Order: sequence, then C-alpha cells, then structure tokens
Amino acid sequence: MAKRLTVVPERCSGCRLCELACAIHHHGVNNPKKSAIRVMVAFPHPVIRMPIVCRQCGQPKCRENCPTNAIARDNGVVRIDAESCIACGQCVITCPFGAIFLHDDLELPFKCDLCGGDPQCVKVCPKQAILYQPEHIAGQAHRMSSMLRYAHMKEVTYVEEGEQKKLRYAEIGKPEPKA
Amino acid sequence: MDLTSGQVKPQPIGDDFALQYVGGRGFGAKLLYDHLERIKGPLDPSNVIIIAPGPLTGCFLPASTKTSFVSLSPQTGIYGDSSMGGNWGVELRQAGYDGLVITGRAKELSYLWIDDGDVRLVPAGRLAGRGALEAAGMIKGEVGDDDVKIAVIGPAGENLVRFACVNCDWSRNAGRTGMGAVMGSKNLKAVVVRGSRDLPVADLDRLRRATEASLAELQSHHLFKFWQEQGLMSVIDYVNSAGVLPTRNFRDGVFEGAERINGFVMEQHYKIGDAGCFACPMCCSNICLVKDGPYRGTVTEGPEYETACMFGSNLGVDDYSAIVRANQLCDELGVDTISTGSLVGAFIEACESGLLTAADLDGRALSWGDHVGILALVQKIALREGVGDVIAGGARAVIERWPQMEPLILQVKGMEQSAYDGRATLSMALAYGTCDVGASHNRAWTVAKELELGATWGLEEKADIVIYHQTVRPLFDMLGVCRLPWIELGFDENHYPEFYSAITGVESTLDELLAKSRAIYDLTRIINCSKGVSRKDDYAPRRLFELPIQSGPWAGKKIDRAEYDALLDLYYDKRGWDRDGIPPAEVEGQFRGRVG
Repeated sequence: MAKRLTVVPERCSGCRLCELACAIHHHGVNNPKKSAIRVMVAFPHPVIRMPIVCRQCGQPKCRENCPTNAIARDNGVVRIDAESCIACGQCVITCPFGAIFLHDDLELPFKCDLCGGDPQCVKVCPKQAILYQPEHIAGQAHRMSSMLRYAHMKEVTYVEEGEQKKLRYAEIGKPEPKA
Repeated sequence: MDLTSGQVKPQPIGDDFALQYVGGRGFGAKLLYDHLERIKGPLDPSNVIIIAPGPLTGCFLPASTKTSFVSLSPQTGIYGDSSMGGNWGVELRQAGYDGLVITGRAKELSYLWIDDGDVRLVPAGRLAGRGALEAAGMIKGEVGDDDVKIAVIGPAGENLVRFACVNCDWSRNAGRTGMGAVMGSKNLKAVVVRGSRDLPVADLDRLRRATEASLAELQSHHLFKFWQEQGLMSVIDYVNSAGVLPTRNFRDGVFEGAERINGFVMEQHYKIGDAGCFACPMCCSNICLVKDGPYRGTVTEGPEYETACMFGSNLGVDDYSAIVRANQLCDELGVDTISTGSLVGAFIEACESGLLTAADLDGRALSWGDHVGILALVQKIALREGVGDVIAGGARAVIERWPQMEPLILQVKGMEQSAYDGRATLSMALAYGTCDVGASHNRAWTVAKELELGATWGLEEKADIVIYHQTVRPLFDMLGVCRLPWIELGFDENHYPEFYSAITGVESTLDELLAKSRAIYDLTRIINCSKGVSRKDDYAPRRLFELPIQSGPWAGKKIDRAEYDALLDLYYDKRGWDRDGIPPAEVEGQFRGRVG
C-alpha cells in the first residue's frame, strides 16, 4: 500500500533531531544544514513550529519546471537524476513547500527520498510529529474531528459502577427542540 | 575580537588546551584567568567575555545545545558564568568557531555578524532601547534570513542592570551573573551567527549507535511523557509538598495558592505548544498564551519552574496569567527572572513590615500578590527609573542604600538565591554558600536527594554530594550539553565519555572528565580568591540562619551556624583547600602559561 510522510505541526517542539538523523543518513556528516527536512519556527506572531518535508507530489511542480527533465516520480518517490541535473536551482524555487535544498558543499540540489521506505526522521522524532502512514490515513484526523464537532450536539449522563459518566451523540435527522 | 579597534584575530585551538579545558565553561575560566590582570572592572572595556559552546554542542546526541557565557561578573565582581540552550551554539560551531573572546568597547551600539567565518561589526544605533525579541526580529529582517541565530540583550543590558541576561531563540537565556550587562558595557547589542559547515565527528557510526540507544532509554522512562507535557513546571507540586517552595520572600515553605500556579493549571489553561532545545527529546519548554483577563494576548515560551516561583509563590502571586506576563516582560527587557523576583520580594516584605514606605518606592507601596505593582517595578528596574535605578544595581546596591534591607535579601557573594529553600536541607545551604558564581542552584542541586535519601546522612555524605554535584554539573557546561536528562530523567552520566570519545576521537573515562571539571572548580576558586573571596563569603544567605521556615512540614527549621561551620570545614578539607577556603598555592601551577 502506498505510504506518505505526513507532518503534525502542533506536536513539533523544534528540536531538529530529524535534521541531524537525515543528514547523517544521507551524507554521513553531522550537519543539519545538509538535511532534506527542515524545522521552521515562527514566534510569537504566529506561534508555530513545522518540519518542512517533500510530499512526493503526484504532479510535482519541480518536475514540471525542470529545464532538463532531470526530475521523475518513480514508485512514489520524486527523484533528481544526477546525470541530467544542471544544478540551476529552478526546482528549489518552484517547490511550493520549499522542500528542495541547496548547500555550498554539495553539487546538486537535494531532497527527501523516503530513505528507501524507512524514513529516519520518523524514527527519531520524540514527539511523533512526523508520520509515515498509508495514504488513506492522510486527512483522517480532520475527518474525525469534524465528525466529533457534529456529535457534540447532544449529551447524556449516566452512572456506571458508581461513577458519573457522559456520552455524546448526535440525533441525526431530528430537529432541535424549541427552547 | 577587540571591539575597540575592530580587530579580529582568529586563533586555532591547541590540542593541549582542548584536552585540559574541554570547552564551554572550561575554556571560559582559563581565558578569563589569562586576562585577569588586565581587567580593571567588570563593566570596564578591559573586561573580557568568552562565549563558548562545547565539543559536543550541535552533535547527534540528546540535548547537545548549551553555550556558556563567561566573564568577570558585574553582579558579584568575581568569576561569573551562565549557559543557555537553543540553537545559537550549534550555529556558531557550524560557522567554524568553538568560542569567541570579546574585549574592548565598540564606539557605538553595534552587533557582531558572523557569517560562516566572516566576522563584521555592524553599527546598530536603531536597535537602541529595543526589546530583545523585537531587536532579534529587526536584525533578521536586516540580514534577510529568518534562520540566523541571535544572542541579544534587551534595554536592561544596555542600561547595565547588574542582572541583565542574554537571550537567544526568543526565550533561551543566559540568565544569571549579569552577562547582558557585560555585553551592554561593550556596546554590543547582539551576536548574530550563520554557519553551514559539517561538525567534526571522529566516529559517526559509534556516535549514532550510542545516541540511538540513549534516545530509546530516555523515552522509555516512566516520566518521559509527563515531562514533555509539563517540563520543569511539574516540579512546583513536588517542591510545595516537600515544604521547600519559596513563598513570600522565602518566609514560608508552602504556598496556599500553589495549585493555581502549578503544571496542571499551565497545561490545561495556558499551554498552546511544546518547545525544545536543539536535539533534545524532552522539550521542557511550554508555550503559554493568556486567553482572557487583563493580560489577554500575552504569549511567551515559559514560564519554567524558577520563574513561576520567583514571580509566583515568592511574591504571593497566585494568578498564573500574571506570571506569564512577567516572563514575557523579563524576556523582552532582558533581566534575570530569579534575581528580579528575589529583589522584588524583598521590597514587598520591606513594605509589608514597615521597613520601607511608599515614599521610598516613588509613592507606590507594594503588597504580596500585587502583580500590577510588581510588573510596573520590573519595568522601572530595566529602564532604571526612580527606585528601579537602585534595584538595578543588584543586592549590594540595595543594601548600601537601605542597610535595614540586608536581612531580607537572600544573596551569596552578591547574587540572589534560586528558588529552592535551603533551610530544610543542610547540603542545599552549603550548595548556595559554596557555588562559585553566588547563590545559584546551577552547580549543586542536592535538595531533592537529601529530602529523599538524606535522613540518615551525616556531614560526610552531605559534603560529598555537594562536591559531586559541583563536579558533574559543571562538566555538562564544559561539554556543551544540558544536564536535565541526567538530573530529571536519570540518564546515566556514564554515557557522556562515550559521546566525548566518539566525537573527539580521544578515549576518555568519566573519572578523567570529572577530574578536569574538578580542576576548573579550583580554577574559578583561584579567580575568586584573587578578588578577595574567602570563608567569610561562603555562608548561605543570612535568612537561612536567622528566620525559621514559617509554615509547612519544615515549620520552625533553620540552619544551625555551628553545624554549617563544621560542614564547611569538612567541605574545604575534602577539596584540599585550607580552612579559610583558599586552595594551596601549588594548585595554581597547572593553569599557568598560555596553552593553545
């Protein structure tokens, strides 16, 4: 089943362990500036921390704009072909997420390759802010929360083993009683 | 870097120097010692400030985040250091530097811009009087890069407030010993860094194995999740129930409003996110937002334990939103929350007990819990307005102006005491008395251990644990890592020689590293003794001997002077110092000569 790297920004603490693990895995160096994932932080207006990572788009903008057709999507991974890449940086500018990177020491732009199906960033993240999940799960949290918001409409209290409890439910189809 | 001439002299670090002094605080102490004779005073251009991460900073291991600031402290007049977490030290090392040595005084307010080895002094008159966070934002706009890392002072540093701090990443502060004032005295508003280089690691595979095991070990600790949720705020309940929570200027040991300012209140009503330092899985920091009331819209990273106590229980404040506001204000103004909260507490007590009147405080007396008055006073301290100008001079200046305040101010060597009561546990009193920078908990925090295990301890065990803490805790500051995984989640200190060996390629044992740290404690003592420090300065704050804890499980407890003296004798003996606290002359030999 196809899997996707997804990010839950509200969990991210900004510790950058993902950057270190990525750079060590791909380049064999301790250098967060050579990672294909970057933690962006804004504070205090707005307050947010978010790892930026390639989504392996189905219709990649980087591929569309590559002047030498060096970018291809293969088996769910968008890759830059070292032979035909001219390091013009067009893909770096074009990616809507800013998920392709350049570094002085490296000849070519670099990006996430999902570590051959075993993403190091996911393994190292201490907050479970980066997930590698089957595609159909993407968006599930939002689907669940929009359902739960709806279910908040009604509430029934009951007693179970001496403890007062609440159950929330929705009376679908019935009009709200007039107050 | 000499700010007076604008000259930069990059110097490689010699192997001998690196081996003997390790890094961070170790480098700082040695370089300060080398400059000592030429320094005319802490705020004189001749003073030197050393800013140094450690050899582990920035590397792939838990919480490799720390940078030490070392200088002759304007708060105490002796050796001073303070460390901060965040990302700044990582960036400095990536720019190719293991430390900065800054002397002189720029002719106008400026910032230092270190861009991958290229060092420039940039005039920054437009940043004068700007808050630390605000100035950092302006600098990022100016250099056109949101990712640069900035160590910056607020108006308090510019105004030479003796307990001004240095801020980075919005909320990581080198808080204690007045390093912000040293930067201010040098007309140095900020040090801005950007680096892209690989950090040298001798054996990356070895480091990776050690780190993967370490991360798994930390995350399997039964308190790991709880720590991520509350961080240091979880400590409030523990300290309150143990009866050592600083309350109303350390009069009481329990606070009736503790459950309105504890970690659960923070988590349920204020927390909007987690924040962690570089490479740290623990993310101690909590980002708090005030959603209603007079401080609505206030957002800050924090407060953590010390701030929540010093601006909460210690001032009789039980409104968490006011503490969030105080935290934000102190970050922006650039003052240490511990010293500020402590001094404000002494002023409230003085007002309440009639030692001072409203007239002494520019017509506005303070009372316990009066957060509006407290916040106004903090502002006046940072801006040196009215009575704030006196308080900005620190504990000693206040005592000079109002000698009757002396029994109310908890300080050692001119530095105000941290937020753990020292009366319930004799070892904590000794820790405050003998800490090399003043009454800080950073060198030894033995209160919890003695409360839990110390019922049967004699003086021997108490002296030993203080010395062990004073050896292992500064080691973290030398290596450039945070001590919290060790102290809070029981992470074994034996991991560190493995990290050190994998990174430097120099095989080392924990005992060897501890011996180096212990030598640095001798060195800072030698520096302090050259400034007149001796036994008379090694006593815990007066209050600990004079006023018993007023409430809680330790009500009636104070420190017995004869017992303290006996412990101090034993402490000196174990350190090999004489009974006046002076190390023997031959100890100094190993630090002489300029290596590297």
